Amino acid sequence: MSDHDEKLILGVFPDEEKAVSAIEALKPLSWKLDRVHSPFPSHRILEALKLKKSRVGYFTLAGGILGFLFGLALAIFTALRWGLIVSGKPIVSMIPFFIVGFEFTILFSVLGNVIGLLILNRLPKYEDLETYDPRFSSDHFGIVASCGERDQEGLINFFRTHGGEASALD
Amino acid sequence: MGRSLLTYSEIDRTVLDTLRPASRGYWFLIALLALGVLVGAVCWAYQIAVGIGVGGQNHPVAWGTYLINFVFWVGIAHSGTLISAILHLFRAGWRNPIARAAETMTVFAVCIAGLFPFIHLGRVWMVHYMLPYPNQRTLWPNFQSPLVFDVVAISTYLIVSSLFWYTGMLPDLATVRDKAKGYRKKIFTLISLGWTGRHEQWRHYLRGYLFFAALATPLVISVHSVVSWDFALGVVPGWHSTIFAPYFVAGAIHSGLAMVLTLLIPMRKIFHYEVFITRNVLENIAKTIVLTGLIVGYAYMIEYFLAWYSNNIVEQESFRWRALGEYSIQFWIMVVCNSIIPLFFFIKRIRTNLVWLFCISILINIGMWFERFVIIIGGVAHGFIPSVWGDYAPSVIEYGIMIGSFSLFFMLFLLFAKHLPSVSMTEMKETLSKGSSQVHVGS
Repeated sequence: MSDHDEKLILGVFPDEEKAVSAIEALKPLSWKLDRVHSPFPSHRILEALKLKKSRVGYFTLAGGILGFLFGLALAIFTALRWGLIVSGKPIVSMIPFFIVGFEFTILFSVLGNVIGLLILNRLPKYEDLETYDPRFSSDHFGIVASCGERDQEGLINFFRTHGGEASALD
Repeated sequence: MGRSLLTYSEIDRTVLDTLRPASRGYWFLIALLALGVLVGAVCWAYQIAVGIGVGGQNHPVAWGTYLINFVFWVGIAHSGTLISAILHLFRAGWRNPIARAAETMTVFAVCIAGLFPFIHLGRVWMVHYMLPYPNQRTLWPNFQSPLVFDVVAISTYLIVSSLFWYTGMLPDLATVRDKAKGYRKKIFTLISLGWTGRHEQWRHYLRGYLFFAALATPLVISVHSVVSWDFALGVVPGWHSTIFAPYFVAGAIHSGLAMVLTLLIPMRKIFHYEVFITRNVLENIAKTIVLTGLIVGYAYMIEYFLAWYSNNIVEQESFRWRALGEYSIQFWIMVVCNSIIPLFFFIKRIRTNLVWLFCISILINIGMWFERFVIIIGGVAHGFIPSVWGDYAPSVIEYGIMIGSFSLFFMLFLLFAKHLPSVSMTEMKETLSKGSSQVHVGS
């Protein structure tokens, strides 16, 4: 089957139970699950999809390491540039500078976390709203699956059999 | 008592109803608070024009209400993070209906707190001196000073809590977008960043939110520890103590939880949030206040023990004077309001009665403001040398700025409550999906 033959079918389900059962039933079939929309992070749906752990933590970790080094380097660099002994403490005083390093660790970790979330979620992205049903943010669940042009009716019937409404996405 | 189950759409309806056009009473209240903000702004402008001398700070008390209010508002900010981050890590489901309001309180309280160092500077146009930036004189901030730790810690706290608040609100902004019309739809479309609740988005969101909570927890503890070191690292009787960091953190959470009750009890009534913010939720806040009140009371006692046990006559005199000197009324307000009155929450009838909860929360807020008064003023007013003992009273300008700060806080909170979802619909739906009793009426 060539790519241009592929059709996306949207199934809209009124509750979580029906959506989970449709996902489970879809797995062994030849149709390919594209995405699932839900109004909240449904742990049952996420378990049914058997997703891998998110990689957002790598961004957080990278931010944290960078932040600690930056905070410590900033404190040491500025102390050396000014070079004035205050209260008899060494110019490079590691204990107070560790506090600066710590605060920057948290700051950069959080910035890394947010950047990670934006990159991995590809946000902001407004084009997806064109094929999105507003009920998905309220009380309905959506499953989008792809099939060959000739299988369209089969997939639509599949969603309907599992208690959902179904329609083809343009 | 009757129990009725909520549905996802009822959750949306209840929260979105709060975003309908506001009544005249609401705008009257906003106008009244704006007037309060104007009073504060005029007083600050006058201080900038005339000089810092118009405040009551003078030798030996150089830190007056500006620092008291700074520490007070940073403290208020803390319980928002306790509720949204620490209780999230502990999987305490009762925090879900109140987390959004508490986080919002955190963001606004940090903003207000951050204003006070600007105000206290006097020459506010020199504020950039606090920041490390390359300059011709190679003049840099001294990172050995706790005052510079403060700049880093409070700025970090403001950025982190704002991002935590916004990220947590993203799915709810999408819900508002999907129900809104006209220009509101355009605004919410823009700020919800195209969120569609795809499974990939939830997968990353859950992980990211967990990291947010895990990072905000040590941050919140560090921020008030750093604030406490502004005092503890000074060789001043009554300040130079190793218990200051945990004592301040516990006090901060104590005052913040009280402020959460002060804000939530009227909000619950006005917005008909009884179905989310049940008495059980309020009771749990009261129970946490009992814990923080006991810690604060213990800290008050241990300070006296340390003064006596140290055998240092200056320290002993400082603490004798606190309880019996010129500011003894403030001291006893502090002790009674913060560590004795919260003990009434041991009685179930009191901690489940809204009037009692509200009144006690106000008294704790007053007590915690006076705690900062007693510590900040008491230390420097009665130092090592009797010849430099002195007293302090806030000036009219300081009172004006204080009125301005409280008005600004409540005005921002009221604006938030009517324009953004004040209860997390997403978390309520998640709770409902898991079948928690937190979303039942009449519990």
